[in-house]
Amino acid sequence: MTDSIRDRLKAPAGHGEQSGGGDTAQSSLTTNDFVQTDSRSSHGPEQTVPAAVPAVVPADVHPRDPKAVQRAERLVAALFLLAVVGVVGFVVSFILVPFDFGDEGFEYYTPALGFFMALALTGVGAGAVVWAKTLMVDNEVIAERHDLASDPQERAETAALIKQGYEETGLPRRSMLRNSMLLGAGALALLPLPFLKDLGKTKNLTEQMAKTGWRPGSKLLDELGRPVKLGDLEIGSVRSVFPDVPGGRRMADSAALMIRMQPELLKSPESRKDWAVDGHIVYSVICTHLGCPVKLYEQQTHHLFCPCHQSIFDATNSAKVLFGPAARNLPQLAIAVDEEGYFVAQGDFNEPVGPSYWERDDSYPDKVGT
Amino acid sequence: MAKQSPLEKGANGTAVWVDDRLGSSSFIKRSLNKVFPDHWSFMLGEIALYSFIVLLLSGTYLSLFFEGSSREVIYDGSYAPLKGIPMSAAYSSTLDISFDVRGGLFMRQIHHWAALLFMAAIVVHLARVFFTGAFRKPRELNWIIGVGLLVLGILEGFAGYSLPDDLLSGTGLRIAYSIALSIPVIGTWAAFLVFGGEFPGGAIIERLYPIHILLVPGIILALITFHMMLIWYQKHTQFAGPGRTETNVVGSRLYPAYAAKAGGFFFLVFAVMALLGGLFQINPIWLYGPYDPTQVTAGSQPDWYVGFLDGSTRLMPNWEIRTLGHTFSPNVLLPTQVLPGVLFGLMAVYPFIEQKLTGDKGYHNLLERPRDNPVRTGLGAMSITFYMVLLLAGGNDIIATIFHLSLNEITYALRAGLFILPPLAYIVTKRLCLSLQRADDDLLHHGIETGTIRRLPSGEFVEETVPLPPHYSVLLTAVDTPERRELASHLPQVEHQAAPHQPKGFFKPRGSVVEAPVPRPELESEPSVD
Repeated sequence: MTDSIRDRLKAPAGHGEQSGGGDTAQSSLTTNDFVQTDSRSSHGPEQTVPAAVPAVVPADVHPRDPKAVQRAERLVAALFLLAVVGVVGFVVSFILVPFDFGDEGFEYYTPALGFFMALALTGVGAGAVVWAKTLMVDNEVIAERHDLASDPQERAETAALIKQGYEETGLPRRSMLRNSMLLGAGALALLPLPFLKDLGKTKNLTEQMAKTGWRPGSKLLDELGRPVKLGDLEIGSVRSVFPDVPGGRRMADSAALMIRMQPELLKSPESRKDWAVDGHIVYSVICTHLGCPVKLYEQQTHHLFCPCHQSIFDATNSAKVLFGPAARNLPQLAIAVDEEGYFVAQGDFNEPVGPSYWERDDSYPDKVGT
Repeated sequence: MAKQSPLEKGANGTAVWVDDRLGSSSFIKRSLNKVFPDHWSFMLGEIALYSFIVLLLSGTYLSLFFEGSSREVIYDGSYAPLKGIPMSAAYSSTLDISFDVRGGLFMRQIHHWAALLFMAAIVVHLARVFFTGAFRKPRELNWIIGVGLLVLGILEGFAGYSLPDDLLSGTGLRIAYSIALSIPVIGTWAAFLVFGGEFPGGAIIERLYPIHILLVPGIILALITFHMMLIWYQKHTQFAGPGRTETNVVGSRLYPAYAAKAGGFFFLVFAVMALLGGLFQINPIWLYGPYDPTQVTAGSQPDWYVGFLDGSTRLMPNWEIRTLGHTFSPNVLLPTQVLPGVLFGLMAVYPFIEQKLTGDKGYHNLLERPRDNPVRTGLGAMSITFYMVLLLAGGNDIIATIFHLSLNEITYALRAGLFILPPLAYIVTKRLCLSLQRADDDLLHHGIETGTIRRLPSGEFVEETVPLPPHYSVLLTAVDTPERRELASHLPQVEHQAAPHQPKGFFKPRGSVVEAPVPRPELESEPSVD
């Protein structure tokens, strides 16, 4: 037997009784305790739940040992006072602990608040629980459950009432009335539909989905907006590129990745032979699975890796899918070099970028097998 | 008559005033006398409720500072590393909450931790209700409400962590948009209407904000209220025990001790969240940076309760159908929409499936122990295994990194595991349950071994046993299943040591009071029942 305050407070040894703590398997209830008394019988003639609530355990579970009572009371009081300490600590930390970012010790601000608030809450919470468990009367009582189902007569009467009302409306006989009402109510249900219209800019939806910011002759800009030139990239390196149009840097569908590798590594199909320049090849970074940016390039294997769902694409081979849930290769951007040596796009991507969608027509002339 | 204290006088006056107008006495009397059975596992739902209250409190505070807008601003707050960077007002105001509002970061972290705890408590509570059969008639409605709360909790959590518009949350939103795209026929339209246009659409933060702080919490609050009203009206279930029958409820009265314990427990749960919010960093959005549709970080992970869907998405083979000028994406649709739809749908109708299969249409107010219903427990273990495989798959990249394993092999193994492990879990669990029942029956039939060896006149040695104390045998015999009966028929019947309580009929009310006092055996240590 554990030696908790609760145990010491309770009935003398040998006299088993139900501990309010609850787990039936742990309780030490014996049949001696099934005394049919109500601890609240002193509450006057108007019994609260008279016959239904006999006490299972003897009414007298008041603590007996006055010393234990005193200890319990002190413990509860101490816990409640702990809450005061917590609140004071919280307010003091709130005001005095350095708060501004970068000030010495500012990293202790949030932990201090959390600590003292937890202290205050624990004080109140534990105080209440310990109080309830040690000093309050907590008899186990029995209440009868009431029948949930109504009695058959009540049911029949209710059903009859509904039926009668329904007949009083005349609906069963007047079919025209009924049908027109259903039609009217149905029409009303459709009324909100037009409100959906302006929730999204759906004009030319298919075209929006198919087009990105790339135009024939668009320069390829890097993260900082500088045009990328032939020779800027070492072999084996990559660069994020964006179309040279207003807001191109932030366009969600236009971001692309330029990779430079040994030209002989590229296994482009005949139709894409002149889309790369001297081992520089550009793919859309928008994953064809769920649209995460595919920007992790593995130099040795020339794999492009999507960090969201682990699709892997082969950068040497038209970014075909090697592994993962993506079903299509990354679209490729055909590039060229202008007279000044800057990279430019030959046009838009060869197919819509990003995840699949219902209207996506897959009959693109330059598409490669998957 | 004793003199009344001013406090008593005031309380009396107020009570009379209210009762004159509402006649509330009888309701209050009944409520204060309401009997609640006690068991530690009944606290799990309470934790969910209390977490929700903490969410409402902390969320209200955060809403005073958060600006749910994707309007672009240049950051000019205290956090030096991001100064001068263009970002959305949502992200900027979240930074302000973290660095310029005293206690703001603390509140944010409490809010996030409370959300994680809320979902965890719901899931564990759901498991408790499932494995003890608490969902059976008449409580099927409350089970369905519970499943609704689980789904709404996931949506609410997703909306919440999408709001700060940091790199991680924006990535999640883009995935959500792409998932919407995969709906056949109307997918593109749906995605455009929800996001305001082609991604990013420019409206999603503005729309998620009222959904997150008003619409969904409002529905959750209404459902929780209804959930609790039903518990109140139908009365709580209880485990079998002495005097506990199908037609009564044995426990503590609400007032005062039970209320004090439950109220105190709220503060303790709150304290845990305060401690977590203060001491354990969560979602440090300033490290992720503002959302940029062209950026992502390796190891992107959603909050844990969305993880299983991330996992199913990762495990799915890349099936896609392209025909007649249209593209149909089972590789996205199945794991992200069909799977949760089927899972939560099955979960919601499970009480009716079980009714159909067992033909049991009776009321059940006594809980079963998991072993008492091996098939259900097996099904539960099966579901948990299925879920855990998906959750693991959601972190396949992290597992690969930590354990230096091949990502591809982990994925293949988990794909196989998704189909092999759940049935295995079912079989093992069911056998375990039956064995535990057998052990129970052993105890019932033979009693408790005392370790005292007696030598009979014939020279034979026998061990003395004592019958189980009644509260054990009541618990052990409370449930009478066909499997149990069949099992019991194979057990040797011990003539001289009849079980103190023969298993009675299926959930028949058993004598609430044991007639003769059965002395408690004096034992060094009590045998554990579980």
